[in-house]
Amino acid sequence: MPATDTDFDREFAELVAQLREAPTAAPDTLRARVRALGEPEAPPTLRDRLALVPWRRTVLLAAPVCLAALLSVAVVRGVVSSGGGNRAATPVFGAARTTPEHMPPFPGVGVQQQDTAKTPQEGALSSGAGKGRPVHVDASMRIRVADLDALTDRTREAMQIVRSLGGYVASVQQRTSAGKPGEADLVLKVPVGHVDTALMRLSSLGTVLDQSLSSVDLQQTLDQQRRRIHNLELQIARIEQTLRDPSLTADVRLRLQFQLQAARQSLARLNGTNRTTLREAALSDVSLALTTQRAAGAATKDRQGRAGRAVHEAASFLAAAGAVALFVLIAVSPLLLIGAAWLFGSRAYRRREEQRLLAATPE
Amino acid sequence: MKAVNAVTTTWPRLAAERPTFAAVAEAELDAVHRYLLFLTGDRSLAEDLTGETFEKAFRIWRRFDPRRGSARTWLCQIARSAALDHFRAEERRRRREERYSSDRGPTEDAPAVPGELGEALERLSPAEREIVALRVLLELDGPTAARVLGISRTACSTRLSRALKRLEELMRDARD
Repeated sequence: MPATDTDFDREFAELVAQLREAPTAAPDTLRARVRALGEPEAPPTLRDRLALVPWRRTVLLAAPVCLAALLSVAVVRGVVSSGGGNRAATPVFGAARTTPEHMPPFPGVGVQQQDTAKTPQEGALSSGAGKGRPVHVDASMRIRVADLDALTDRTREAMQIVRSLGGYVASVQQRTSAGKPGEADLVLKVPVGHVDTALMRLSSLGTVLDQSLSSVDLQQTLDQQRRRIHNLELQIARIEQTLRDPSLTADVRLRLQFQLQAARQSLARLNGTNRTTLREAALSDVSLALTTQRAAGAATKDRQGRAGRAVHEAASFLAAAGAVALFVLIAVSPLLLIGAAWLFGSRAYRRREEQRLLAATPE
Repeated sequence: MKAVNAVTTTWPRLAAERPTFAAVAEAELDAVHRYLLFLTGDRSLAEDLTGETFEKAFRIWRRFDPRRGSARTWLCQIARSAALDHFRAEERRRRREERYSSDRGPTEDAPAVPGELGEALERLSPAEREIVALRVLLELDGPTAARVLGISRTACSTRLSRALKRLEELMRDARD
C-alpha cells in the first residue's frame, strides 16, 4: 500500500498525470472577484492577537515559570520570616492554653488563662474586664530582654506604661550580679479597665516566655454585700424605732441596745469589706518578671539557626500553597471533567458528522 | 521583490515577515479552487465556495500565523469548513423539501472534470475526491493533509490509496 508521495506517484503514475492535467484552473471571473478584495487594512484586534498566541507553548512555558515564582516567594518569605530576632518567640513551658470567650457563668468563679512564649500580637491574653461586670484580675508575665542595660530600660518602661494608664507600681525589685542573669520583679496595680492594654504593651517589652491571667467575677459578692448592708440598715432602723417607744421595759430596752450596737458593728465591717471588694474590682494585680536569661527551648531553637527557620517557613508556605491548590483542584475538577467531556464529545460528534457528510457516494 | 507585510505583536517572533494577502490569494487561488472542485464535484458551487473562502480569509487574515503552517494549508482548512457548512445547509434544505430530495439524482451540470476521468471522479465519495485533491493536485504532504482533514496520517494514507485504486478501477470499467 503506497505510503509516500513517491509510492503513489509511481503506482498510479498514469492516473496521477491525468488528474494533474485536468483543467481545474479558477475562472477569470473568480480571479477578478478575489483580486478585488485587495489588502486588509484594519489593525489587528485583540481577538486577532489572541488567535496568534501559541497556547500550548504558552502553557508549557507558564507552568514552570509559575512554579519557579512560587518557589521564589517561598524562599523570600522563609528568609524574611526567619530574621525576626528575639521577637520570634518559642514555647518554653508546656502549659496548655485556655481562652474562654466569656466570663464564667457562676459568679465568684474565676477564669484562668495561661500562655507561653508568644509574640505580643498573637499571645496577649484578654482579661475580659471592662465589659460591665466588676472583676478582679491577676496577671503575671515573664519576659526575656536582651541584656542588663535592656533590663534597666525595660523596667523603667514598664513603670511608665503602668503610670500612663492610671496605675501605680506597688513594688520593684531588680537583681543584677556578675555572672548571673539579671532579674527584675515588679508588682503593678493597673486600673481594671486598662489591664488588657497594659498586658499588650508590657508584652512588647521583650520576648514573652510565660504569662498567665486569672479573673474573678465580683458581681455576686458585691450583690450579697449590698443585700446584707441593706438588711442591716433596715434592722438598725427598726431597732431605733422600737427604742423610741417609752413603754419599753428596762431589760427589753437594754437587749435592744445591745442588738443595735452589734448591728452597727456588723454594718461597719461589711461597709469596709465592700469598699475592699470595690477596690479589688477597680485595680488589677500584674506581676511582671523581666529576665535576661535565655530560655532552654529558645536556646535550642536558636541553635537551629536562621537557615533552619527559613527552610521551615518556606516549607510551611509551600505546604499552604499546595493545600490551596489542592482545594481549588477538588472544587473545580467536576467542572473540568464536564468541560473535557463536552469538548471531546462535541469533537467526536463533529468528526462523525463530517464523515457522514463526505461519505455519501453518488449512485 | 517579494511583497510582505508585518503584524506587530508583543510576541517578538510573531513580528516575522509574511506574504501579503493579495500575493497569497494570487498564488493559491487555483489550488483552493481545484480542491473545492474535487470536493464538491460541482463547478459553480466550487466557484462560490472559493470566493467565500477568500472573503473569509480576507476577514481573518490577521490571524494567519505562518509558523503554524503554509498559507495553502490554512486556506484549505477554511475552504473545507465552508464546504462542510454548505453540505450541512444542503442537507437541512433537502430534509425540508422532501419532494426534491426523493427526486434528487446526480447533478445535471457538466462534470467538474470532462471525460472519463470526470465521470469516474463523480462516482467517488466527496471524502475520496477530497483526499485525491489534497495529495495529488495540491501536493500537500501526508501530515499536512491529515491535519486539514482532522484524521491520523495512517488514515490519510489509507484513504488516498483506496481512493486512487477505486478511481483506477472506475476508469478501467469505463474504458471496457
